[in-house]
Amino acid sequence: MKMLLESLLLALILSNLVLLGSTRVRNYVKVIALQGFILGLLTLLLHLGALSIHTLLLSGGSILLKSLVFPWLLIRAIREADVHASVEPFVGYNASLIIGVLLLPFCFWLASRLPAQLMPTMASSLPIALFTMASGLFLIVARKKALTQVVGYLVLENGIYVSALALVGEIPWIVELGVLLDIFVAVFVMGIALYQINREFDHIYTDQLSSLKG
Amino acid sequence: MNSSLLLWGMLILPAIGAAWVLLPGLSVQTILKLLVAGVLAVSALGMPLIWQVFAAGPVQLVDGWLFLDALSAYHLVVLLVVFSLSSLFAMRYFGFEYRSGIFDALQARKLAALWFGTLAAMVLVLISGNLGLMWVGIEATTLLTAFLICVHLTPVALEAMWKYLLICSVGVAFAFMGTILVASCGRAAGLGDTAALQWTRLMAVAPRLDPATLKMGFLFLLVGYGTKVGLAPFHNWLPDAHSQAPAPVSALFSGFMLNAALYCLMRYVPLVEQSTGNAGWSRQLLVGFGILSILLAAAFIIFQHDVKRLLAYHSIEHMGIIALGIGLGGLGTFAALFHVFNHSICKSLGFFCAGRLGQLYQTHDMRSIVGALRTAPVWGGGLLGSLLALIGFAPFALFMSEFQIMQAAVASGAFWSLGLFVLGVGVVFVGALGHAITIAFGEPVSGIPAEAAGWLDRVIVYLPLSALLLLGVWMPGFVIKALEQAAHVLGTAL
Repeated sequence: MKMLLESLLLALILSNLVLLGSTRVRNYVKVIALQGFILGLLTLLLHLGALSIHTLLLSGGSILLKSLVFPWLLIRAIREADVHASVEPFVGYNASLIIGVLLLPFCFWLASRLPAQLMPTMASSLPIALFTMASGLFLIVARKKALTQVVGYLVLENGIYVSALALVGEIPWIVELGVLLDIFVAVFVMGIALYQINREFDHIYTDQLSSLKG
Repeated sequence: MNSSLLLWGMLILPAIGAAWVLLPGLSVQTILKLLVAGVLAVSALGMPLIWQVFAAGPVQLVDGWLFLDALSAYHLVVLLVVFSLSSLFAMRYFGFEYRSGIFDALQARKLAALWFGTLAAMVLVLISGNLGLMWVGIEATTLLTAFLICVHLTPVALEAMWKYLLICSVGVAFAFMGTILVASCGRAAGLGDTAALQWTRLMAVAPRLDPATLKMGFLFLLVGYGTKVGLAPFHNWLPDAHSQAPAPVSALFSGFMLNAALYCLMRYVPLVEQSTGNAGWSRQLLVGFGILSILLAAAFIIFQHDVKRLLAYHSIEHMGIIALGIGLGGLGTFAALFHVFNHSICKSLGFFCAGRLGQLYQTHDMRSIVGALRTAPVWGGGLLGSLLALIGFAPFALFMSEFQIMQAAVASGAFWSLGLFVLGVGVVFVGALGHAITIAFGEPVSGIPAEAAGWLDRVIVYLPLSALLLLGVWMPGFVIKALEQAAHVLGTAL
């Protein structure tokens, strides 16, 4: 079981690095779907000792929402807003990867500063959760398109979800509150998909959303 | 009437109001009247509750999920006053737009439903005794107000909304991370499932909470809620959202939404302080961000041409002043809380007048809004008064609270802070005074019809203005007592 947990966490790290180095919008969606699946499995694994309908719902819900519904919505948004295939970075792919690799040890250091009040089974996951948050934040800042920023937000949120599992995993209602953040994602994707952002600005580059200055 | 009924009423009544205005077939005027009636009814429910808290101590309900103490009751007063005034002004403002043919029943329904929703969400922030529930309130506020920005779907309004939503959603996510870290401290200190985020229970075990985790949590909370407060350097969304939203909505934003987020931070300050041995760690952070906000706002105020953006930068400045006051502690806390009321009232008034003058002049450019005192004496006078109060003219109440904050800085020997504060406020004074004078006394533009003010206009302008003047020269005993009680919650006896 420890093996499985560590493989999942490793997969999470790798998926973040893939995102940082990815050049295609559609790859983003695939990786997001994968991360949602990892999160669902982590939830199950954490509560393996005491499986209840509650935890099954939480795990199933996060798989359904994050690896099926959101990817589907994103694909639809890409089609309807006619988003060009390339992600168009502010920071180049290689530079992004290098920053990612540097962020990883920093997150381990940061997590080591906290005294372990963590879930015993999840103690190794906090640094990876922080790394996922940092990657998401980096994607929001370093990619131009509105759509890629939404993906970045999803990654940030996934990181927070894993942190919640690690820190307060046995208080389910707090972990479940995090689902409210998904409403933002839904609103973002709808905003793009209902072509408001696209039609009103004739493009979805947020760096051109700058007629309001000063 | 018993307090649980009142508390639930304050949450349920807005929901009923929202459902009501969504009924088909209502005219614009009916919807706007319902809006005012609903908000006034909620305020009527709140008054006895607030009185009870100040007279007889905190109210706690539903296993501590709902909780009202002096600090939240004081903020509730500000919330209800700002909402009542803004609703009255909304009736005036959107009534005019309706007669001009740019506001239809569909928009009115959307506006009123969101307005009630925002009211309920902000009330929830204040009356929740659980820090998780409080976060839910802020989350809901963020979502609902985002749509209020684009009641009129224009490209710039959409742009402002997108910026607001993206930046603040990241802020809300950070605040959630901070909340989780605090909960893990609570759990480690032996608190149970819901108690781990219950403010009173956390305060009771505060000295046993792990300082390192709590500090990290506070950093996340500061960035998260600080984004919604508009503290520099997380303020980027603020001027856009305030300037593009319809004026009554801007008044809500500036008058209370920023304060709601700052209130959340205030809840955490005594927790962190008690856990870290009252060394002033969290307070110093607030002083730093406060001063940065004041200085940054001052730099931008000089170059503003849009009156609503000017007011928005004033919000950043005043949020900085409040953060500074809380950070200084002692008399500073008292003064900062006093400043909360003064700023909210004054800024709502500013946005009312700017909005109405904008309708008359068809622009928000201050180079075009000249001679407002002759064109529309009531609104022009209101804008002049609020701008003078905002830049710290005596004898307005804002001058008094700022003066007290300076005294607090001297008393605690924070001379660097004092110097930077005076520099920032001085620049704002000089920068904004010129704007205020041309708006009020310039030669009126021809072709703009002089406006005869009705009784409603006078109420909306003179009520807040006279409150600011009165509080500037004389503070009634019960106000002082209420402020002392609220300041006491923040952990500083006078």
